[in-house]
Amino acid sequence: MRVITAVIAITAGVLVLLGIFFGGVFDVIRLLVTDWTIIIAGMAVLVGVLNLVMVQWGKISTRQKGWGYSVLLVVSLLGAALYGSILGLDNSIMKFTVEAIIIPVEASLLAILAVTLVYASIRLLRRRTDMMSVIFLITLVLFLLAIMPTPLSLDPNVQFIQNSIIGFVGMISRGGARGLLIGVALGTLLTGLRVLFGIDRPYGGK
Amino acid sequence: MLTIALTSAEIISLLIGLFLTLMVFSYLIGDNVLFRIAVYLFIGVASGYAAAVVVQYVLKPKLLDPIPSLLNDPLQLASLMIIVPFVLSLSLFAKLLPRISWMGSFAMALLVGVGAATAVGGAVVGTLIPQVRASAGAFDIQALGGLPKAIPGLVEGTVMLLGTVLTLAYFQFTAKRAADGSAKRNAILEFMAWLGRIFIAITFGVLFAGVYMAALTAMIERLSSMINFIKLVLGL
Repeated sequence: MRVITAVIAITAGVLVLLGIFFGGVFDVIRLLVTDWTIIIAGMAVLVGVLNLVMVQWGKISTRQKGWGYSVLLVVSLLGAALYGSILGLDNSIMKFTVEAIIIPVEASLLAILAVTLVYASIRLLRRRTDMMSVIFLITLVLFLLAIMPTPLSLDPNVQFIQNSIIGFVGMISRGGARGLLIGVALGTLLTGLRVLFGIDRPYGGK
Repeated sequence: MLTIALTSAEIISLLIGLFLTLMVFSYLIGDNVLFRIAVYLFIGVASGYAAAVVVQYVLKPKLLDPIPSLLNDPLQLASLMIIVPFVLSLSLFAKLLPRISWMGSFAMALLVGVGAATAVGGAVVGTLIPQVRASAGAFDIQALGGLPKAIPGLVEGTVMLLGTVLTLAYFQFTAKRAADGSAKRNAILEFMAWLGRIFIAITFGVLFAGVYMAALTAMIERLSSMINFIKLVLGL
C-alpha cells in the first residue's frame, strides 16, 4: 500500500517536472495531471469544511463548553455554503453576506492587529533587550516615520531625510529579503525533492 | 422602489458591519462573548463561502458539468479522463472515517506529488533563477550606463549582494563538534552569521513596518466607516 502511494506521488511529480522543464508532450500530461489535482484539491477543501462541521457537531451533541458558539458556526457555515453553491456567488444575498459580515470582520481583525503589534513591540524591549531587538525597533520606527505622510513631510528638508531613510534602509532590507527569499526557495526545493525521492511520505497509507 | 430597497439593504449591511466591528474591537479590553460571537460567525460564513467558491469555480465546471456527456458516451477519451479525478476526489471522503481512511491515501499521494513538483519547479524557475540573475544584473556596468554613471548602482548592488550572502550565511548550520561536545561554527562563518543577523533584523523591521501600515490603514477605514454611518443616521 505504501509502495503504491509512493509510486503515484513520484510518477505524478516526475511527469509534472518533465512538463515544466522540457515542455512538448510532457506539458500536455502536466496540464492533465494538474487539472486532476485541482479537482482533488477542491474536493479536499470540501472535506476540510465537512470535518470542521463534524468537530463542531461533536461539541454540540456532547454539550461541551462554548457549544453555543459551535451552533452559530455550523448554522452560518451551512447557510453560506448551501446558498452560495446553489444560487451562485453573484447572488444578492451572498454579496450582502460578504459586505455585511466578511469584509467588516476581516478589516476589524486586521485593525486590532495595529494595537497588538505596538503591544508586542513594547514587550520585545522589556523581554529581550539585545542589539538585534534594538536594531529591529530603530529600523521600524525610522521606516514608519519615513513612509508616513505627516504635515512635516511638506518641508523639502524633511522630505530629503525621509527619502534618504527609505533609500538606505530599503537597500539593506532588499538584500536581506533576497537572502530570505533564496533561503525559502532552497528549503522548498529540498522539501520537494525529499517527497519526490520518497524519503518523506506525508500522504500516509497502510 | 428599487433604489429604496437597495438603500435599505445597504443601511442594514452597514449597521451589521458597525455592530460586528464594535464586537471585534471589544477584544481590546479582553477576550469576551461579543468578540467570540463575531469570530465564530466570521469563521462559519467564510468557510461556507470558501466551500461555495470551490463548488462554483472548480467542482461544477470541471467535475459536475461533464457528467452528462460521460453518461452519453462513456468510452470517449475525454469522458474517461474525468473518471480518474472523480473516483480519487470521492475517495477523499474516506479520510473522515478512521477505519477506511487509507482509501484516501491515493488521492493524497497525487496531491502531494504534484504539489511537490510544482513547488520545486516554482522555486527554481520562479525564485532561484530570477533572484540570482537580478543579483548578478546589478553588476552589469554597460546596462547601468557606463562606469561613472554606474557607481551608485554598483554600490547598491554590492550592499544587496552582501546582504543576500550574509543572510544565507546565518542559515548555514553545519558545525563541527567542539571538545566539550557543543556544536561550533568556524570563526569566519560565525562572524558572517552575526552580520547576517543585522541584515535580517533590518529586513524584519521594514516588513513589520509594512504590516503595521496595513493594519493602521484597516483601522482608519473601519473608524471612518463607523463615523460615516453615524453621520448618515443623524443626517449630518
